[in-house]
Amino acid sequence: MSKSEKDGVNRRELIGSGLTVATLAGAGGLATGGAAVMVAQTQTAHAESDDDANHKKALVPPGKLDEYYGFWSGGHSGEVRILGMPSMRELMRIPVFNRCSATGWGITNESLEILTEGLTPASKAYLASIGQKTFTNGDLHHPRPSYTDGAYDGRFLFVNDKANTRLGRIRLDVMKCDKIIQIPNAHSVHGLRLQRYPKTGYVFCNGENRAPIPNTGKFLDEPKKWRSVFSAVDADTMQVAWQVVVSGNLDNNDADYKGKYVASTCYNAEEGITVAEMTSADKDHIVVFSLAAIEQAIKDGKFEEINGAKVLDGTKTSKLSITQYIPVANSPHGCNAAPNGKHLVINGKLSPTVTIFEWDKFDDVFSGKIKGEDAIVGNLEVGLGPLHTTFDGKGNCYTSLFLDSQVVKWNLDEALRAYKGEKVNPIKQKIDVHYQIGHINATHGETKEADGKWAVALCKFSKDRFLNVGPLKPENDQLLDISGDKMILVHDGPAFSEPHDATIMHASKLSPKEVWKKDDPYFKFAIDWAKKDGVKLGVDDKIIRDGTKVRVYMTAAAPAFGLTQFKVKKGDEVTVFVTNVDDVVDLTHGFTIVDYGVAMEIGPQATASVTFTANNPGVHYYYCQWFCHALHMEMSGQMLVEEAGA
Amino acid sequence: MTRGLRVRLVMAAGIFLADGSGVGAADIKVEPGEGGLRQALSAAHSGDRLLVSEGSYSGPIVIDKAVAIEGTPGAVIDAGGNGTAIKIIASGAAIRGLTIRGSGTKGENFDSGVYIEQGADGVIVEGNTFENNLFGVVLHGSKNAIVRNNKIANRSDLWLNDRGNGIHIWNNTGSVIEGNKVTSGRDGIYIEISHDSIIRGNRFEGLRFAVHYMYANNNEISGNISIRNHVGFALMYSKNLKVFNNLSVADLQHGLMLHTTHKSEVWGNFIYGTGEKCLFIYTSAGNDIHDNRFEQCGIGVHFTGGSEDNAFYGNSFLANEMQVKYTGLKVYEWSRAGRGNYWSDNPAFDLDGNGIADAAYRPNTLVDWVLWKYPLAKLLVSSPAIQTLRYVQDQLPTLYPGGAIDSYPLMSPSPPPVAVPAHIDLTPASRDPAQAGSDSRPIM
Repeated sequence: MSKSEKDGVNRRELIGSGLTVATLAGAGGLATGGAAVMVAQTQTAHAESDDDANHKKALVPPGKLDEYYGFWSGGHSGEVRILGMPSMRELMRIPVFNRCSATGWGITNESLEILTEGLTPASKAYLASIGQKTFTNGDLHHPRPSYTDGAYDGRFLFVNDKANTRLGRIRLDVMKCDKIIQIPNAHSVHGLRLQRYPKTGYVFCNGENRAPIPNTGKFLDEPKKWRSVFSAVDADTMQVAWQVVVSGNLDNNDADYKGKYVASTCYNAEEGITVAEMTSADKDHIVVFSLAAIEQAIKDGKFEEINGAKVLDGTKTSKLSITQYIPVANSPHGCNAAPNGKHLVINGKLSPTVTIFEWDKFDDVFSGKIKGEDAIVGNLEVGLGPLHTTFDGKGNCYTSLFLDSQVVKWNLDEALRAYKGEKVNPIKQKIDVHYQIGHINATHGETKEADGKWAVALCKFSKDRFLNVGPLKPENDQLLDISGDKMILVHDGPAFSEPHDATIMHASKLSPKEVWKKDDPYFKFAIDWAKKDGVKLGVDDKIIRDGTKVRVYMTAAAPAFGLTQFKVKKGDEVTVFVTNVDDVVDLTHGFTIVDYGVAMEIGPQATASVTFTANNPGVHYYYCQWFCHALHMEMSGQMLVEEAGA
Repeated sequence: MTRGLRVRLVMAAGIFLADGSGVGAADIKVEPGEGGLRQALSAAHSGDRLLVSEGSYSGPIVIDKAVAIEGTPGAVIDAGGNGTAIKIIASGAAIRGLTIRGSGTKGENFDSGVYIEQGADGVIVEGNTFENNLFGVVLHGSKNAIVRNNKIANRSDLWLNDRGNGIHIWNNTGSVIEGNKVTSGRDGIYIEISHDSIIRGNRFEGLRFAVHYMYANNNEISGNISIRNHVGFALMYSKNLKVFNNLSVADLQHGLMLHTTHKSEVWGNFIYGTGEKCLFIYTSAGNDIHDNRFEQCGIGVHFTGGSEDNAFYGNSFLANEMQVKYTGLKVYEWSRAGRGNYWSDNPAFDLDGNGIADAAYRPNTLVDWVLWKYPLAKLLVSSPAIQTLRYVQDQLPTLYPGGAIDSYPLMSPSPPPVAVPAHIDLTPASRDPAQAGSDSRPIM
């Protein structure tokens, strides 16, 4: 017990409660009544941060469940993470563009099919030339849950890969990635948002960087001929529906709540290459896409087919009238549709302002009745470095200020009124965050069901906020309580590189499976082979030899594999199918072969498979690496690899 | 020098040549009239001086040779509400003594009073009056320019975002911007990707940012005055700056801001009456910040984590609502070589009379706040109640999760390092942080 506790004074109380201090001073017989009042006032100075009472708001006691799912981007780790909110406990990781040692993502046949089938022919050829099947890195920025009528419908989560120009889809019933495609003609996918109405629908992928189309080695020294591409991908088939070539580049985008328009920010209207060239103009622009006009142009055959995609000209000089370019202050970044369905907030980045557009006015912009600038209905100075805005569904907006390292709360209606000249001050509060916030997102903030409970401030630096873990520091995902009049900082969440964005969904929206369905399409590879080989998957333990190809089918039921030994010849191409026949919740098995670099996860009732060449002779144990049973250590077997000709 | 000498000789002889061809530099007198200035420009040769008489001349004027255009009082170049009044595309050109007005309002085209294009180096813009333009002077990639003693009042009847900057400097090196006065428009000086320049003795009033500074290294910013702007001097993403003897009076958000600005020396500045923060230091490292005066602001200095190796001494903090707002967790020593800073709320004593308080000062304690909130409590700084609060904090170091310690606090403040010009309203700006967005409406 520390000295102060012995004395009945807890140090924490001293920080948290001015009243306690006053009491102490009074107990010493020294404080006047006036001093006690003054000290009690100091509590407000500390109330916005670092306070136990506030932190308790985010505590979910042992045995209790969180109220929300948070889908976190893993940035250049390439994965998605699921956090429980408000506790900010990490619940799960979903490998997507990365390799995963635990689950065998990138090792199993099922994952490799997903990771390879959607690659462009050019990438497949390149990867083959360097002895790789797929890319081993990714840069996942934006997790976006699918919509029906502007609300999350719990079907899918879509994610972008800025590093290798891909789009991934995660099934929310099993929380696994089931489809990845590489977007042809684009060069890195950054901004990613979904059609909200009537449903998703299209997935809108911003090709951020400008490059020649097709990108085959021509026009290397003619950057004026390079282009950014906006792509719409069909969410169900994961095929590119159409693409639009634009002037400038594409940063972030968002879709309206009526299924008519998508808007995107552009930070390089100059089409420059160096930082200086990209910032030379005082204005950049947003580009607005009319979905109806685009679909009509496709129907009318006005596209050019390039690398299998239907590509439309949406540049400034196009005669198709499918895009509108509207000047905004230099280098805009975030693009956020308000849950009221009416407004779009463009975040200024280098300009300390947000610009508010009204979606419906784009009708008149496209018909030529008004100029693009006339669709602006608000323009508010919010602070330095506004990057992204989220919403509480109660008319308030929360904008991240990267340079000020703050979140500013402002009222949308008052901002519109101020723009009309009314004397109102829309700014409600600014709160410090630590440090240099990028994205911000609130509970259901990207849906018409925004509920204004919590917001996460995804800070790019933690600096001194956590124990020093060496030169590479965690990021800091801070939780804000936005349910009251004032934002309150309640939690610091260290995170490995590098959450860019997070979307938050009430737990009632999802009911993921506890165990797999045996015939889930996820296991199609195994089901098809078993059928060909006449094997009853999940029942039979069999070895099928087909020349130098060997297929090993085995069940796993804690604490034993169906086969405790199998024999192959050196040089055989071996495929092992393991079916977890346990149907117990949370009873996942693993299959690891020692000295073979083989490991995979097999969830309850799932089948997973892996193919390798048995070039390393000898006795090789395989074992279950995913704890399953009291006799888990005993759950093993041996692969015996004979020397060829033995 | 030789060119200037020759011109002077011609003038002394009282000779005005209508056409200076073949005989070197000449002075050419220009009178108002249809196309007169354009014709004179077209006939002029590099080195000539065009002496523009009183009267109005319609823009746009394009200067494509190294001539000097010098206005007599009342000589006006008027763009008539379209495009840019004077565009300079030749190195060595100069403009003096003109009134330049009426540019268009297209920001994407940089509609301006004077636009100096990339490749036009060594241009001089001096002693002109800019009225009712979108941008005043734009240095767009031109090098070694001199912009001096101009008066710039840009259009304010537009949305803040749609207004232009007084002097807009992009992708430039080696320029001198001095003695200018900017009183309306968006930012006073916007400088980006522009190194090795001097920004000296300018005055900015009623703007968004006085100096808006992004990624520009090795520059001097000195003797400038910012009065009642949203932000005074915002120095961001830059290094090796010399920032001295600037004055900020009643700016709204930041008097002086160092954001990701490194290895710079900041001294002798006087920041007075900022609504939010006198000084904001954000992830800025290796700076030498000394002998500045921070007075009557919402926060004296807001200092954040990750700002390492800054020397902080000789500064005076007077009567700020909160002297120091520190949002990091490390402990920094704010003194150098036995010399700290002056803190107006420090209940200090100096028994040995060496000008240094005998006890260390820890800003940002509960007492600070009490003293600001209840100024009368200053009478109590040595009272038992206040002393007990301090004693409690001193005995329980966990009350300080981090912060600055000044081991050698000064007993008296330094006098204001910059003289405040006469007739300036010294009422501090509003302390309400929510004021920031309140005045982005057009001023009609």
